[in-house]
Amino acid sequence: MGESGDIDEIWRRAEGGAVAILDCREEIPCDPCEAVCARGAIVVGKNVCDLPRYDPGLCNGCGRCVAICPGMAIYLLDRSSRDGGARLTLPYEMKEEIKAGDEVWALDEDGSPLGKGKVVKTAKMNKRDHSLLVTVDVPEEWALKVRGVRIRVMSIGEPLEVRGCQREEDHLLCRCEEISRSQAREYAAMGFNSLRALRRFSRVGLGYCQGRFCQAMLVDEFSTAAFRDREGVGVFKVRPPVRPVKLGRLGGENG
Amino acid sequence: MIGAATAYYLCKEGAEVMIVEAEDLASGASGACDGFISLQTKQLGSHLDLARESAQLFPAIAEDLEVDIEYNRCGGLMLARNAEQLKEIRARAKKLKAAGLQVEVLTPSDLKERLPDVSKDIKGASYCEDDAQVNPYKLTLGMAQKAQEMGVTILKGCKVENIVVTNNRVREVNTTAGSIHSRRVICAAGTGSNQIGKMIIVDIPIMPQRGQILVTEARERLLDAIVSGAEYLGTKANIAGLMPADEEASKLGLGFTAEQTASGNILLGSTREFAGFDDGTTPEAINAIAKNAIGFLPWIKDLDVIRSFAGLRPYSPDGLPILGTVKGVKGFFMATGHAGDGICLAAITGRLISELVLDGETSMDIEPFSLYRFK
Repeated sequence: MGESGDIDEIWRRAEGGAVAILDCREEIPCDPCEAVCARGAIVVGKNVCDLPRYDPGLCNGCGRCVAICPGMAIYLLDRSSRDGGARLTLPYEMKEEIKAGDEVWALDEDGSPLGKGKVVKTAKMNKRDHSLLVTVDVPEEWALKVRGVRIRVMSIGEPLEVRGCQREEDHLLCRCEEISRSQAREYAAMGFNSLRALRRFSRVGLGYCQGRFCQAMLVDEFSTAAFRDREGVGVFKVRPPVRPVKLGRLGGENG
Repeated sequence: MIGAATAYYLCKEGAEVMIVEAEDLASGASGACDGFISLQTKQLGSHLDLARESAQLFPAIAEDLEVDIEYNRCGGLMLARNAEQLKEIRARAKKLKAAGLQVEVLTPSDLKERLPDVSKDIKGASYCEDDAQVNPYKLTLGMAQKAQEMGVTILKGCKVENIVVTNNRVREVNTTAGSIHSRRVICAAGTGSNQIGKMIIVDIPIMPQRGQILVTEARERLLDAIVSGAEYLGTKANIAGLMPADEEASKLGLGFTAEQTASGNILLGSTREFAGFDDGTTPEAINAIAKNAIGFLPWIKDLDVIRSFAGLRPYSPDGLPILGTVKGVKGFFMATGHAGDGICLAAITGRLISELVLDGETSMDIEPFSLYRFK
């Protein structure tokens, strides 16, 4: 087992400038942090699966370990501004470009946004690095919670995770079975003779809603693909129950 | 299903085949059934032999087809609700074992391991590790697609109107889409076989037998075996000791079956009723199936039922398929009457009929399934 440094000591030392925090919990064969640390502050030792031992007293906050850690488990904490904020340097490997001055979401270890942060600078340790080091200012109370950042899309009432899909083809035609319009279109062109046969094989309309939401759209796709009238392709057979009902009720429980 | 399987095996041997589908693939019994490949519920003797041969073909078929047929050798359980049923199941397991099938009888505590949260009223069960499940639609589609690739033509929405016989030989099939010249015709029409037989003045004694099934919402894997109740076997194989107790249930031919499909839905069955060609579901049967299922698996009461459906099984007077030729009409073959076993027996039926059509003889004795056993 490793020893990732006394957190109180790290907290204190951060008042004097950047210091690394190791949040490594995986006992996997991995030791680039040991090799990259010029000060010998991080030691994995003989057994490459051991967690790193870390002495914050030796750390000079160079950030090489932050850039090298494949698990993105190391970041820098800097409290030298003493204005009640914390300055974090985090590894960033997302596609969206990020630069100094950007407002970002500060994310916790589950990737959920804690709140807004501001990017102070970005840097690469060397040109070939995939990891960008993003330095961001956040309120002090998040200093030990933030594990990443994400570009904040500026729009009204911005939900972070939900993005509208760009193309009509990507819309979910059948939401219960998660079948997109383009997939449904492919099924519709497979040469089935009736809507019911198409349904059996594609599973469009076989889910929880039993086609109450998607039938009309499937009829559109099918009649187009088969060069037939909407009326000519038939409809799903309607079977009881008309809406989902607990088996216990059908079996006589509670009437 | 049977038609697609037969075409699949025929064209594997290089035959030129045409499938005439009145509606579409799997729009009859195979489109309204569960996916049991159940060996321990077969009648002892040739029926069981047929099923065992068929079960052995499935892994290779799954490998061969492009469509994922969701074949899963999950094992099958048959549950006994009282001491008499357990006694009957035990006696049957002995006979099945003697016939070479791997069947073991489980005590309630053994059963708990295979089926946690089963009702406390269950007195024991028999378990057959060779029982399996498959997706019937996908099996049908997969076989038909593969056959199509090998050159089979499938005429959909095309009804057979007449079969022309001259000099005691089949010559031509008249359909709504025109005439097809062929010296060999295979009747794989399921419940429509009786009508096809009339065209060549042969009585093929097939009656539609209705089976109703409930479908629950999709859930995580809750059932890892195909499960049936002893009454299911009773109503299927006419075993006096295993018939449903109350009058309403025996009128419906009620027997418990449960299977969780690859999509996560649980199919709960089923009934055996004679209602002509009416494939509607009935409130009585829906309530009875639900009540019966809760008796075996109490936790199931909390699942949502999203659908009920009914399928018409091609039922012959003794519940066994009708395979082979007819007297007096050369070139006419029957592959029908599989009742509730069409999916399970599809593979072997397809293979045997293809052998019969092409070579005139079969690798297994199909005499027990001859049309003339009824006379």
